[in-house]
Amino acid sequence: MAVRVGIPRSLLYYYYGDIWREFFRRLGADVVVSGETSQSTIEQGGLVDEVCLPLKVAAGHACELKGKVDYIFLPRIVSLAAGQYTCPQIIGLPDVVRSCYRKLPPLIDVTVNQRRNSFDLYRSVIAIGRVLKKNAAASTFAWLQAARLPANAAPLEQVSPAAQLRIALIGHPYLIYDRQISMDVIRRLTAWGVEVVTANSVDPLTADYTTRRLAKKIFWQFCNHLTGAALALMYSLQPLDGLIFLTSFACGPDSLVSETLRWHARHHDIPFLLLTVDEHTAEAGFVTRLEAFTDMLGRRDGG
Amino acid sequence: MIVSFPHMGSAHVIFRTLFAGLGLKVAVPPPVTRQTLELGTAYAPEAACLPFKMNLGNFIQAIDQGADTIITCGGDGPCRLGYYAEVQKKILSDRGYNADFVVIEPSIDSVWRSLRRLATGSSWLTIYRAFRLAGEKMTALDIIERRSSFYRPRARNTDSVDRLGREAKAAVDVAANFAEVGAAVKSFDTKLSALEMDWTVKPLKVGLVGEIYVMLEPFANQELVARLGRLGVEAQQPLLLGDYVRTNILHHRAAIRQNAAVLTLAAPFISRYVGGHGVKSIGYTMKLGQAGYDGIVHLFPFTCMPEMIAKNILPEVGVAASIPVLSLAFDEHSGVAGMMTRLEAFADLLAFRRRKAGG
Repeated sequence: MAVRVGIPRSLLYYYYGDIWREFFRRLGADVVVSGETSQSTIEQGGLVDEVCLPLKVAAGHACELKGKVDYIFLPRIVSLAAGQYTCPQIIGLPDVVRSCYRKLPPLIDVTVNQRRNSFDLYRSVIAIGRVLKKNAAASTFAWLQAARLPANAAPLEQVSPAAQLRIALIGHPYLIYDRQISMDVIRRLTAWGVEVVTANSVDPLTADYTTRRLAKKIFWQFCNHLTGAALALMYSLQPLDGLIFLTSFACGPDSLVSETLRWHARHHDIPFLLLTVDEHTAEAGFVTRLEAFTDMLGRRDGG
Repeated sequence: MIVSFPHMGSAHVIFRTLFAGLGLKVAVPPPVTRQTLELGTAYAPEAACLPFKMNLGNFIQAIDQGADTIITCGGDGPCRLGYYAEVQKKILSDRGYNADFVVIEPSIDSVWRSLRRLATGSSWLTIYRAFRLAGEKMTALDIIERRSSFYRPRARNTDSVDRLGREAKAAVDVAANFAEVGAAVKSFDTKLSALEMDWTVKPLKVGLVGEIYVMLEPFANQELVARLGRLGVEAQQPLLLGDYVRTNILHHRAAIRQNAAVLTLAAPFISRYVGGHGVKSIGYTMKLGQAGYDGIVHLFPFTCMPEMIAKNILPEVGVAASIPVLSLAFDEHSGVAGMMTRLEAFADLLAFRRRKAGG
């Protein structure tokens, strides 16, 4: 029987999920991806204390794979770009999960650190292959094949033709595309006749180029992309009616990025809404704020 | 040019000596008070961590006192500290507080350029002497801190230890040369040994680990070290400012070796890349557990990313090193009463544990 590898549907899965699945499939493993986030995922992840909601959700997804797989793929992704980091919480995830949950299947917690040397990725790929008893050539080949798939496994944005408003929804993909923890914000906005643009609609090179407007480059890779994309949308010719920054409580990088975005939005005269979610966020309060914001934008446009 | 800098415990003594030695006019921000924190909290992003808010409060008060250049540190991640200055600059200029920022990044190039910008016209000898005197004061302050922690639970009158410590730090602050620094420490020692001690007590020994700012700034940690001392607990910090400087800036061989040993102790539990001092918190918990300490208090600012990771792993480390760990998070809402209740309960637990072990 083939080895079963479980991948939690959380965090960087929303960027690289397709590539990871293809990689393990080519290595001859059965890939099991955990289901959509549910209330019970969040409850199981709650064993991890104080960290941000997406990290708790990731721990919850890892738990849900228990009993279904032989290995859980939970890499320690330190850095994916020269001079940049993911974030301390993402880096610590495998250590925290191993420490808090004792009876999980073994973790594939290979370190990926391309901060100083981009070829370090192949060391990690070969190390993963070794866990599945594949030799270096086979793993490298499988990776090169899989990596041809596009990153950004996120769903396409739906644009309703009669959109009245154009709002940028900026937030980590693992937050805004997770329908449970984002309170399904994209579908809601679209249903209200809002055209939603996310950071995914800006290509990484443009986003990275736009961050030159900042005095100092942001050293968290994903926040750097979000900021660059948000700035590119603000500076683009197509007008933006409003900007929503969706973040989770206890996200360290976002706490400083939100202030940077607020500053730029104010200088562009673009209304800015900061929405913070955690496991205690109530749907009613969240929706009320969202409604009030879009109503306000509608009146602003009409006036 | 009047320069200022953020507070961190008694680090202002060192910074003042250093910058004055470079021939700069220095405005030390007023001591951290409730008002400092309120100013910082009012203007900082709500979710920013405590050091961000306190630094911001320091800057505002320093600019009000006439400072026009702020010297602060940068960083290359992944801890938030590295991006503080960028956001603080924007917040201050939007509120009409105008000051130049000199952000010292952790690279030789940046240190060099900042030095040339700040100390224009100073000779190399002057610069060298300024650094040497500042370094000497740093060592002296650490000695005073460690001895105070040792004597506090043993003294019949705890307050007199605190008073002597304050006086000695003030003497170090005004010392103009090596001899005066040495004299200040010597006179502190003499007065300390003249105090009435109770040598029969064997106080509980607790090690402090965690995030550097909250550990070193008494206002941020509600004067934890002194309060533990008054509970009859000896609270020692394995890492004081001098230890950080020797390891991370001066690269002293002994300090590097010790640091490597601590990282090795942490290796089974955590990867070394989580940033800040998360790994050291775990390594020192192991080390102090082996060294026969009775307990560990782990301090960090609320939502501090590296320490949150450490906090989730520390229970396991505590079991492995068979040492109880108390984690305390601090933010602008922290109160003394809540902390004291937990500290008293923790001290009771440690005392009970020691009695049980002693039979």
